[in-house]
Amino acid sequence: MTALAALLAPALTGCAGEAASATGSSTLKWTSSYFPAHWDPVVGGSGAQFRELALVYASLTRTDEKGNAVPDLARSWEYNSRGDEITFHLRSGLKFSDGEPVNGAAVKAAIERARKQKNSALFGDLTSIESVDAKGLDAVVHLSQVDYQIPQLFGQRVLQIASPKAAKSPARLDQGPVGAGPFTVTQLIPGTKAVLKKNPDYWDAENIHIDQVELTSAPDAATVISGLQTGVYNFADIEPSQASAAKKAGLDVFVQPGFNASNISLNINKKPFDNDKVVDAVRYAVDRQEFVDKLTFGYGETTDQPFPKGYVAYDPKSANAYPHDLAKARKLLAEAGYKAGDLKLDLVIPAEDPQAEIVQSQLAKAGITVDIKIDKNWATPFFAKDLTFSLYSTTGRDSAAQTLTAHFGPDGPLNLSSPYEPAGFEAAIAKVRETPLDSPEYTETLRAATRAGLESKALVFTYSQPNLIAKSRTVSGLPKNPAHIDWTGVTIGGAE
Amino acid sequence: MTVIRRVLALTSGRIAVAVLAVIALLAALGPLLAPQNPLATSVRTLADPSAAHWLGTDYLGRDTFSRLLDGSRVSVLGSLEVALTALVVGAVPGILSVHLGRAFEWVTLRLTDTLVALPFLLFAVAVIALLGNGITQAMLVTGVLVSPLFYRVARAATLAVARSPYVEAAIVSGASLGWIVRRHLWAKVLPPLAVALAQTIGTGFVIVSSLTFLGIGVQPPEPTWGGLLASDLGYLAHQPWAPAAPALLIMVTVWACNLLADAVRDVSGEAGRALVDRRRARVHRTDQAVTTPAGGAR
Repeated sequence: MTALAALLAPALTGCAGEAASATGSSTLKWTSSYFPAHWDPVVGGSGAQFRELALVYASLTRTDEKGNAVPDLARSWEYNSRGDEITFHLRSGLKFSDGEPVNGAAVKAAIERARKQKNSALFGDLTSIESVDAKGLDAVVHLSQVDYQIPQLFGQRVLQIASPKAAKSPARLDQGPVGAGPFTVTQLIPGTKAVLKKNPDYWDAENIHIDQVELTSAPDAATVISGLQTGVYNFADIEPSQASAAKKAGLDVFVQPGFNASNISLNINKKPFDNDKVVDAVRYAVDRQEFVDKLTFGYGETTDQPFPKGYVAYDPKSANAYPHDLAKARKLLAEAGYKAGDLKLDLVIPAEDPQAEIVQSQLAKAGITVDIKIDKNWATPFFAKDLTFSLYSTTGRDSAAQTLTAHFGPDGPLNLSSPYEPAGFEAAIAKVRETPLDSPEYTETLRAATRAGLESKALVFTYSQPNLIAKSRTVSGLPKNPAHIDWTGVTIGGAE
Repeated sequence: MTVIRRVLALTSGRIAVAVLAVIALLAALGPLLAPQNPLATSVRTLADPSAAHWLGTDYLGRDTFSRLLDGSRVSVLGSLEVALTALVVGAVPGILSVHLGRAFEWVTLRLTDTLVALPFLLFAVAVIALLGNGITQAMLVTGVLVSPLFYRVARAATLAVARSPYVEAAIVSGASLGWIVRRHLWAKVLPPLAVALAQTIGTGFVIVSSLTFLGIGVQPPEPTWGGLLASDLGYLAHQPWAPAAPALLIMVTVWACNLLADAVRDVSGEAGRALVDRRRARVHRTDQAVTTPAGGAR
């Protein structure tokens, strides 16, 4: 049977390859675990699905391989001398796929929609924006505070720009995206499949060598690998547990750099986490290496900060502040008045997750009993800050300041203990915003803000999940833009 | 009792009862028989079978054999809960619909039609979202959705008896509904209900396994056969043999339930009487063969 499969698989793959070249087109067959539920970028928010939406929508800026903001729809930008106003100069002659011009008015409309649309998931990211003036191909953004993070912020995660005409009906835009990105949607089956073709009017169309994209919602993990083997797909994000099977199947398996970080979220406004000793007991009870060993199959790494080690904002001075120490955890619990088994907690999560089982088993060793509760409506109480104890994994943000405020700020969506913020964090993050990104002090200022944020008792960071991707060898290598999937320059089957 | 003796007289009946007795034993004693703590994690993840771990370990290093034994109780009790809920919710109104007048009959028939039209898995997911994720609510909901089978079986059997002369005579004599049900209906309605019950326990296993496979109805890390199957499928590349054990257990249990249902059907009612008659005739022929000298010896 195995021998038969070994004989047939290359033959079938070969057939698929021949069919593609016979039509003279190159098709990306991407199956994704993050198939967008919403195609309106304002509703979709800045989570993992922005990568799929970036097929359709372009932004003012994008990031390069070092994570720095570089021109996209905007050819350049400049701050005023005070740093509280930034002007983006757009490329000329660009159009959205419905024929509407890409200009300052479209940028203004996009920002205002993100700030004001009722179901916007982005308004919390735009707290520095006061107003926008449209002047032909210029968009002048007035800020409520000095903030040099704006070019990083207005990238693909937060400001994918939709046609203002199409956006007049957000509900229709949500299932019929109209952007000025590298591809346009020709067919969309909600939640299942999208077919896109190359957008000849995209500003960098000459560097897009893919004619068509078939984006599908990923089936179960094992089926993804067999689909890649037989040519049903040629690109997929995969679970770490599938990496060895993908490699054995002759697929190209690689880790796309990223900012992923998982955490245990505690609500210090509720018992028992209103007691600092209980919080510290949890911190000492966590063995981060177990998460890496059991969940990432060696592809991830431990982290005790909201980004992986090596990232510009990662603060080496704060590393390993709470090493795994069960004896200390038990002692702290005893000091807090809890005997072993006294403390019972409900860990509320949206779906089955081995992370939760590891947390349960580790805290049990410290004497804390954890019951895992799956709540399909988890997002509502989590973002309303009603939960006491939960888990969250972030894919990070292009702006380090945005990542920090999301976790530690008083209104941060990932701060389960809102409006609590650690002392000194607000001043530290204001200093980050006031520091130009090319200033020699920027790195240390940013790390100081991380240090201030990590004083928070609301979050215990555990590990960094890898962005693991398997692709057919006919798909050329991707630019190593951290946390992004950029199709610029990518070829399929040698076609250009 | 007669039905049980008749079932045990059949080979298929004896096999079904033996298999189900073992499964019941697993449900009762499984957690005690588990050689290791089914929730205890270890560094030996996805290990192959060995003397220490007969069926290897799972993705968190837990002993798979212990989890399988520990998961029997939830799987068995869940399917029983489905079947018994369906029996009560379906059979009682099924019998009463014949006797309590047209309004009751119309309402219960329409309710049954509605339940049949609902996709049980989607409905179960929706109700669990409302009531919270737990095995009891999941199985109760599923039991209600399966109940139309019992409603129809009970109603059909009751209709056949209700218009018989002896029941009409009892009504004319002033017998109460309760007396008629106890005296005349139970004996006729119970055999088809027993067949349906055995079948539904089998169906219940599939439903419990499907729901727990989807992570519905049980909170991790509590093991169930369906849950083990689901998690094993995620690690096929490392342990391609792992799904075999839970899948086999589910399969054998469902097969035994169906076998029992067939056996009960074969020995019930007219068919059962015919079977007993055939057996008596066979015994009679054997006796004659023993007492009568062979023709050639005359």
